[in-house]
Amino acid sequence: MKKEGIELIKDGKRLDGRDFDELRPIKIEVGVLKRADGSCYFELGDNKVIAAVYGPREMHPRHAQDAKMAVLKYRYNMAPFSVDERKRPGPDRRSVEISKVSREALEPVIIKEFYPKTEIDVYVEILQSDAGTRTAGINAASVALADAGIPMKDLVSSVAVGKIDGEVVLDLNAVEDNYGEADMPIAMVARRNTITALQMDGRMTKEEFDKGLKLAMNACRQIYELQRTALIERYSEM
Amino acid sequence: MYKVVIPGDFISEDVNRAGEGTYIEGGKVYAMRYGVVDDKEEIKVVPFVGKYQPARGDVVIGRITEISFPYWIVDIASPYEARLHMSEATPDGEKRIEFGSMHTYLDIDDLIVAKVTNVDPLMRIDLGLMEEFQLRGSGRLITIPYTKVPRIIGRRGSMIKMLKEKCNCFIFVAKNGRIWISGKEDDMELASDVILMIANEAHTSGLTDRVASFLDSHRRIRMYNRKNKGLKR
Amino acid sequence: MGLEIMDDVRRDYIYNLVKRGKREDGRDFRDYREIKVEKDIIKRAEGSARVKIGNTEVLVGVKLEPGEPFPDSPDEGVIITNAELVPLASPEFEPGPPNEDSVQLARVVDRGIRGSEAIDLSKLCIEEGEKVWIVFIDIHVLDNDGNLVDAAALGAIAALLNIHIPAERYGLSSSEGEDTNTLPIRDKPVAVTMVDVGGEILVDPNYNEEKAAVSGLTVITNTDGTISGMQKYGREGLAEDKISEMVEIGIEKADELRRKFL
Repeated sequence: MKKEGIELIKDGKRLDGRDFDELRPIKIEVGVLKRADGSCYFELGDNKVIAAVYGPREMHPRHAQDAKMAVLKYRYNMAPFSVDERKRPGPDRRSVEISKVSREALEPVIIKEFYPKTEIDVYVEILQSDAGTRTAGINAASVALADAGIPMKDLVSSVAVGKIDGEVVLDLNAVEDNYGEADMPIAMVARRNTITALQMDGRMTKEEFDKGLKLAMNACRQIYELQRTALIERYSEM
Repeated sequence: MYKVVIPGDFISEDVNRAGEGTYIEGGKVYAMRYGVVDDKEEIKVVPFVGKYQPARGDVVIGRITEISFPYWIVDIASPYEARLHMSEATPDGEKRIEFGSMHTYLDIDDLIVAKVTNVDPLMRIDLGLMEEFQLRGSGRLITIPYTKVPRIIGRRGSMIKMLKEKCNCFIFVAKNGRIWISGKEDDMELASDVILMIANEAHTSGLTDRVASFLDSHRRIRMYNRKNKGLKR
Repeated sequence: MGLEIMDDVRRDYIYNLVKRGKREDGRDFRDYREIKVEKDIIKRAEGSARVKIGNTEVLVGVKLEPGEPFPDSPDEGVIITNAELVPLASPEFEPGPPNEDSVQLARVVDRGIRGSEAIDLSKLCIEEGEKVWIVFIDIHVLDNDGNLVDAAALGAIAALLNIHIPAERYGLSSSEGEDTNTLPIRDKPVAVTMVDVGGEILVDPNYNEEKAAVSGLTVITNTDGTISGMQKYGREGLAEDKISEMVEIGIEKADELRRKFL
């Protein structure tokens, strides 16, 4: 992660021309898959991800059922062609961890008591990766869950902040992630200001952390508006 | 247009009227589902899609998936499977069906019309067979989200009445979103198309009129085609 | 069914204690259980440490082997961290491939060490592009009574301090003097894990407290107070100010642990 050698900030702007607090362009399409109960295609800069939700449906194996509530499952997976160096198909340790953290990011808003003994499956496929895939995945999954009619208290929004050339910046791309000093993805329920996921990789002072967290929370609120708009507009085109 | 909401949207402060599809927090009513607000009586959010949750008294169309003596296991388009006791299949529960011969009454993939007689806290669902409806012979089954069923039926049954008349079909709409259509091939095709159209546009206004004119123009087209191709029906 | 009832009972019990300002074992909210760190207990490992925090017991072994560097860092050593939740450590651990909990444990510990740059990887090059030292950090959980992360992280750094690089075993005797035979460690990252129970922050949750809590946070900090890793857990969210408070507590407690045990 921390390689040296390139200047990531020139004349107060980042290599791709963005300001320190600027998100990459986002595109959201709701209900893109026919077979899934809910789905969402999400682009964040050069990241292209698709999330699908199946359920609630009967849970197997039976002994793993929860008699009082639905069980949420989340699978983050990268397509082999999504990265420069082909990724071998199948779950690796990174995907396992991301799946767990992402699931925990969404659990606080899902009203699981409604469907005891069932499972709700969230599948997130990363089709093209440029750093920030797990945040794009959580954003897409949130929309897909709503699209599937899953009872929820709210949506979850997600973004990463990081530190490059000593500056705290928003939404790192792959170059910035590889050559930067820290990377901190978060997930949040925008309306309630509660953080549902938080990870930090790298090195930051407490002040940088506080600054980064505020920057990230602000960006999550912006992303929330885009998620909401996409959902509302889907049924307003008539 | 009805108002479209997403989970977490604030709807009203009138917590006393909060109904299905909403939740209450801090003295306010919020949407719990992605759907449209219906606040004519209770404040409800009718979801665009969702899984059917069986309730006692509902009439559903089920498909036999398994025979597990003394029950048939029935798929009712819900996350929960239902069961039909073998005594339901014998009139007045007289004759006892023997082990190994249940399939002679109802076999796998058979469609039945049933009433939900009980849902217990462990989500075990019991059905009672409604024998007056036989879903056999030529006909087709289509499935729409259960949330759209009220729209297909219409206020005081006005929509379904129009469909039956203008499509000239037998149409049975069950609570779990399954619909059985029976009639001539062309008519069933038309009925399916219209039902799917209603399901897709359920949240819009002026739907009834659009459906009526769609049906009328379809009839005109067909009559025109028949005339010009000399088809006799 | 029985286990679920017990879960509820336990949750209420812990919650009620916390509401009265108490913990199950009588500790203050900010206190660790008794900690014991023993170094160099496995002869076959280049470095090792056995850490006990209360009844939680973790064994960390560090082994060094020559191997290939990563293509994008041809002159740097490699760290590989693994954790095993072996079945004997808890009735809940099952034999089999690593599950999400053991993967998370390993990656969080790894994150702290990597982020702090505690190991100077550039000093582990044997032949650029061809051969470097691989540092295997293997975490073996022996008894799970809560807070495996802090025990494992403490064990990892304790095991890494004062490691003799086994150059001779591989016929790679270094010719540059004695010091290059010790694994170069530049910092001492320490993990502090806290949970939220009923709105109160409890440091070093034991097993029951972990189960009763709905969310938690691990903060890994260095000697100079900078943060080199963070991980949130749990099924509920945390408010910004609570996170901020936890980070401050993390920095403070890490200092204590560092002074006493490293």
